[in-house]
Amino acid sequence: MILEVKNLNKKYKDFQLKNVNLSLPKGMIMGLIGENGAGKTTTIKAILNIINTDSGEIKIFGLDNKKEEKKIKQDIGVVLDDSFLSEYLNPMDINKIMKNFYQNWDEKLYFKYIEEFKLPKNKISKDYSSGMKMKLKIAVALSHHPKLLILDEPTSGLDPVARNEILDIFQDFIQDEEHAILVSSHITSDLEHIADYITFINNGEIVLTKTKDELLDRYGIVKCSEQEFKKINKADYLKYKKNRYEYEILVENKNEFKRKYDIQIIDKPTIEDIMLIYIKGEK
Amino acid sequence: MNGIKGLIVKDLLNLSHYKFSLLIIIVVFIGLGVSSKSSLTFMPIMLMTAIGMIGLSTFSYDEMSKADKYLLTFPTDKKEMVKAKYILIIGMIIIGAIVSIIATYGINYIVYSEIPDIEPILTMVLGGVFGISLVEAIQIPSVYKWGAEKGRIQMFVLIILIGALIGGLVFLITSAGLSIQFDTNQILGFIKNFGTYILIAVILLMYFLSYKLSCKIYMKKEI
Repeated sequence: MILEVKNLNKKYKDFQLKNVNLSLPKGMIMGLIGENGAGKTTTIKAILNIINTDSGEIKIFGLDNKKEEKKIKQDIGVVLDDSFLSEYLNPMDINKIMKNFYQNWDEKLYFKYIEEFKLPKNKISKDYSSGMKMKLKIAVALSHHPKLLILDEPTSGLDPVARNEILDIFQDFIQDEEHAILVSSHITSDLEHIADYITFINNGEIVLTKTKDELLDRYGIVKCSEQEFKKINKADYLKYKKNRYEYEILVENKNEFKRKYDIQIIDKPTIEDIMLIYIKGEK
Repeated sequence: MNGIKGLIVKDLLNLSHYKFSLLIIIVVFIGLGVSSKSSLTFMPIMLMTAIGMIGLSTFSYDEMSKADKYLLTFPTDKKEMVKAKYILIIGMIIIGAIVSIIATYGINYIVYSEIPDIEPILTMVLGGVFGISLVEAIQIPSVYKWGAEKGRIQMFVLIILIGALIGGLVFLITSAGLSIQFDTNQILGFIKNFGTYILIAVILLMYFLSYKLSCKIYMKKEI
């Protein structure tokens, strides 16, 4: 495992991370999904030892994230949606800064990304578009040859073309079986493209963590009338949502459900569908 | 150690945007010193205050871009981040002091064709270093606690309070019919009484306590 989080707990006045468990194997991309305030960024901050945790164990590359913090961080690349270096710095300045922090900082690679992303070298990032700013953050995160990328909303603010470019870079990064990516995103369609695992966090708790294929192939959304719904055993579904004319029911194994009940309309869900029924639905 | 170097380089690059403003400040204050000899007595303090206080503005740059959170993803830690700030800020004060000494000495020598006594200049500058250090030693932990914006307000409150205190004392002394005259000889005498080395030790102690307090605050701070 490249990343292991065990029984992570962190309590704030109005929010709590409860027994968060994560395991990210090498060569994999894990998508962390959940609504705003669900605990995605708090989990990422705990992994990076930015916040003090109440209990739990976090191991990165098999090392304790607190005791071996500096050693571990030499091999992690991070993109945070809302935080970066000052906007009054240009890519040249950033290179001067970063080469002091990372032993493996690769100036050539960094400027190769800067060229590829068409970022003006001498322009301060304040004058960049939001897409360009994100590309700059990604270039910085990739330029010290990290083994693990931790990305918090890396595709937000990017147009579809730029998003595709970035997703391709992430997929290239993972080709080396020694690398892994933990990525949180609201844009669940992006995760459908690249993620191997999906972890869904809601109200500070991990609701599900599955391989993407398992989630998209096994899960189903049953659409039925009220009479049909009443016949369904509670244990056979995860959540349901009552719409104006029908019921939407999230089931974990659509084939088994089909065998048990005579309901024909079972849609293949998207990650977003699953997330919405989990958040808005009832049991 | 490389982490500290990276943090200082980051702050210096941010401060490089101030270079023209700083140059103008230096030119204006030197011009003031050149314009009249009496201005030369307070010019070094003003000059070094302007240079010395610039280090504090790096907190605002970090706050604007929420850089702390991002920096903590690097191979560094909170302790190094605090240490780097103190090194930068103290370094800026030392640079300010050196520039002030050179400017005062140079103006005396070039404009007024005098070879000045270095001791009163050093005394004046040391007094200035003490004043700025006092403000900054209080200011830095409060910025770590409340942030750059609120911290700046507190700095003004602090300066106003110190000003009011001194003003009040002067008012009381003059009301009592006592005359007060400040000249470099009096300040020199004052510092001689307490000892230059004691003053330096007090400055170092202030920064040490301030650093320890900042570390304590920042280690506990949720970013």
